[in-house]
Amino acid sequence: MDPIVRLEDVTKTYRGVPAVKNVSFDLRKGEIHALLGENGAGKSTLTKIIAGVVDATSGKMFHKGVETAYASPHAALEAGIAMVFQETSLVPSMTVAQNLYLGTEKFLNRLRGTYISAQQFLQSLNFPVDPNAMVATLGAAKRQMVEIARAVHHNAEIIIFDEPTATLTPEEKRHFFALIRRLKARGVSIVFISHALEEALMIADRITILRDGELVITDDTSAFDRDRIVAAMVGRSLSGQIYRQRDETKLRKAGKKVLSVQDISMSNIVRNNSFSIFEGQITGVFGLIGSGRTETFKIVSGIYKRDFRRGGAIELDDKPVRYLVPSEAVADGIVYVTEDRKSEGIFETMGIAENLFGGLLAAGREKAWVINQQEMRQLSAEWTRTLNIKAINDNARVVELSGGNQQKVVIGKGLVQQPRIVIFDEPTRGVDVGAIAEIHQIINRLADEGLAVVVISSYLPEIMNLSDRILVCRQGRIVEEFSPAEATEEKIMYAAVH
Amino acid sequence: MILDPILDVFRGKAVTIPPLDGAFRPNTRLDDLPAFAELTEPDNLLAADGRLLVSSGNAVLAIASGSEPVVAETFPSPVSALALSPSGDLTVGLESGKLLIAGKEVSLPAEIRCITALAYADDGMLWLANGSAQYLASQWAADLMRKGASGSLWSRAVGGDFRKVAGDIAFPYGLYPTRGDVVVSESWRHQLVRFGATGNHSTVLTHLPGYPARLSPAGDGGAWLTLFAPRNRLIEFVLQETHYRQDMIDQVPPAYWIAPALASNRSFLEPLQCGGIRTMGIHKPWSPSRSYGLVVRLDRAMQPQFSLHSRANGTRHGICSVAEKDGRLFVASRGGDCVLSLDLAAGGF
Repeated sequence: MDPIVRLEDVTKTYRGVPAVKNVSFDLRKGEIHALLGENGAGKSTLTKIIAGVVDATSGKMFHKGVETAYASPHAALEAGIAMVFQETSLVPSMTVAQNLYLGTEKFLNRLRGTYISAQQFLQSLNFPVDPNAMVATLGAAKRQMVEIARAVHHNAEIIIFDEPTATLTPEEKRHFFALIRRLKARGVSIVFISHALEEALMIADRITILRDGELVITDDTSAFDRDRIVAAMVGRSLSGQIYRQRDETKLRKAGKKVLSVQDISMSNIVRNNSFSIFEGQITGVFGLIGSGRTETFKIVSGIYKRDFRRGGAIELDDKPVRYLVPSEAVADGIVYVTEDRKSEGIFETMGIAENLFGGLLAAGREKAWVINQQEMRQLSAEWTRTLNIKAINDNARVVELSGGNQQKVVIGKGLVQQPRIVIFDEPTRGVDVGAIAEIHQIINRLADEGLAVVVISSYLPEIMNLSDRILVCRQGRIVEEFSPAEATEEKIMYAAVH
Repeated sequence: MILDPILDVFRGKAVTIPPLDGAFRPNTRLDDLPAFAELTEPDNLLAADGRLLVSSGNAVLAIASGSEPVVAETFPSPVSALALSPSGDLTVGLESGKLLIAGKEVSLPAEIRCITALAYADDGMLWLANGSAQYLASQWAADLMRKGASGSLWSRAVGGDFRKVAGDIAFPYGLYPTRGDVVVSESWRHQLVRFGATGNHSTVLTHLPGYPARLSPAGDGGAWLTLFAPRNRLIEFVLQETHYRQDMIDQVPPAYWIAPALASNRSFLEPLQCGGIRTMGIHKPWSPSRSYGLVVRLDRAMQPQFSLHSRANGTRHGICSVAEKDGRLFVASRGGDCVLSLDLAAGGF
């Protein structure tokens, strides 16, 4: 079968550093092609070349057999190539419908007609998004849905999805995969970038794996299994570390009960939620988006307030606590490592040292008016080494780091506060496989050192691999507790949904 | 915060139910056990003279492995408590408020009408729990719904008369004599309280996730605690709603009250929470049930070590009594109509 897009020996360099090196890649008509690799492997760069976002430094691109190079994403879109970006490119101050038709408006627009047509279109995709809603008010998952809908709306014959499922719930993922299959049946070719290997194995026809900017392998999906993919991605097998089987004897025993949450409520998001957290143990919390798991732990760490009247009780070391601001929780040794590192976790344009030092300032361990630069550098050097943060130097700007290393900075910022309870919210979201293993090691080490650790995750293999006990959250409360030795994905998902 | 005591007046008192985790972590151990004997609503268990005695209705039966229960003795009204004196006399409390020692009726003060538990100390002192001043032992649900706290604790020294040790107890249901004192399970306040011979008391274990029933000595100096029903949000809510509760008591048959139960899901007329209980034909083990099976192992300091459960979707509910004998734990399930047997050595605790 002739490929619809073919790249020959494509290279792209940034300031002399190659992001993609001599990669030859082809995409067939009507196929789903998964592109896998660690952060920095060159996946995004390769697809951006196809979509006209960046130019190739050398090499050739053929679209329908004709050599071409698109000067802009608009030109690529005109030619039928659309890209759905990981960071959504929607206009937050406009409605969903307006975003959907942005750039394709008619000379005279009837607003009502636009909304009706947007409503019908979103319904046809099974996306539960209100076309009248302002994009700024939507959560990450719904924004992603609008972004996908926009690409589909342009009737593109090639659609590139960059991490489309990272923010979707399992239910939404199912709808998304059904949509992809429908597009495939219509002859649309799809490039699918994902960190979730199971998704690639489930949906793709072929898989291409990149490592350090070079193509490692392209083959039919049937030729792959998870171990082979991981080995190709990182050059070694990590499956024993990331997806190990747990048995009862290897689970950590619960230490002293440090935190007891009893019937806390916050509006209709957290409802009579009760659980305990123990020292020396990793408590995994699984739940679908909207199940109230993040909000529950934000209440615990003083970021959100529980209901004023009959909001329940939180006891730390058997003493009731009610935090007005997060710094009070930090002072009591409770640290929350956010799921949204870009907006809540780091100061992007600052250096590693400044970010880590910010953690000390937040905990009140350092005075803001006298900053000892040498001490700051020492702190940075120490934690860069401890957490194995890979950067040009100890005070490289965080924005220049890969997702995994940014996450390690966020974790480091929390750990410098010397916590007793560490709450990790989606600790490996948007992080590549190699960094996942390292972050898991850090989390395990903290539990081994006797800290009470909570890991909130929507990624079931992560929950099952890390946790010594698994709590399942549904509709604002913990409904079930499993031992990882007895838990299966089906059991956990049933509890999370029903 | 310094203002919390003032703000708490406006916040209202939060009734919180402790989660089932830590030593109370749910499991299916009670449901996994084979039935040692099957009989209707077994209540009290007692190891006596090498035999295992169990009360069921008006009878006390002897049960043994591989044979049908044998009636040892029958009484004019249901048996509500059993104990064995150091000299081997079987002591039986009856629903009618009578107390029999070695078959002879003992005169009791008029206040004692609801014998829920009996226990002998090593020195022969007999402790008696009188659950309620208004209701019979079988009417415990009414006492809870009326927020009763009229229970009392009595003791009788060898050859002496009964003496009231303490009153205003919210349904004392279990007794565990220890070093001159007695630990009492106070059901409606979800706690264990230690009483001295003079009535001085201290709380031993509080904030239990269910209603504690009888206590039984364990082999190594600790104790076994049974909890006959779970606390749940709906029942706590009903307990706060005085008028609703009064209407329910007046108009609804007791079996269908929104109240704890020894067994549930036997009739469609019982209070349901629809999809909260059963979804797609599966009875969810974590659903908010009226009945539950729970036995807790306490250490010498009366702190929970581990527990055995029959969850919302199980059947071995309403555990009111256990007995340890020859390295085995026997569990009487009133809701499950059976006595269970567990090998403690092979229990994997």
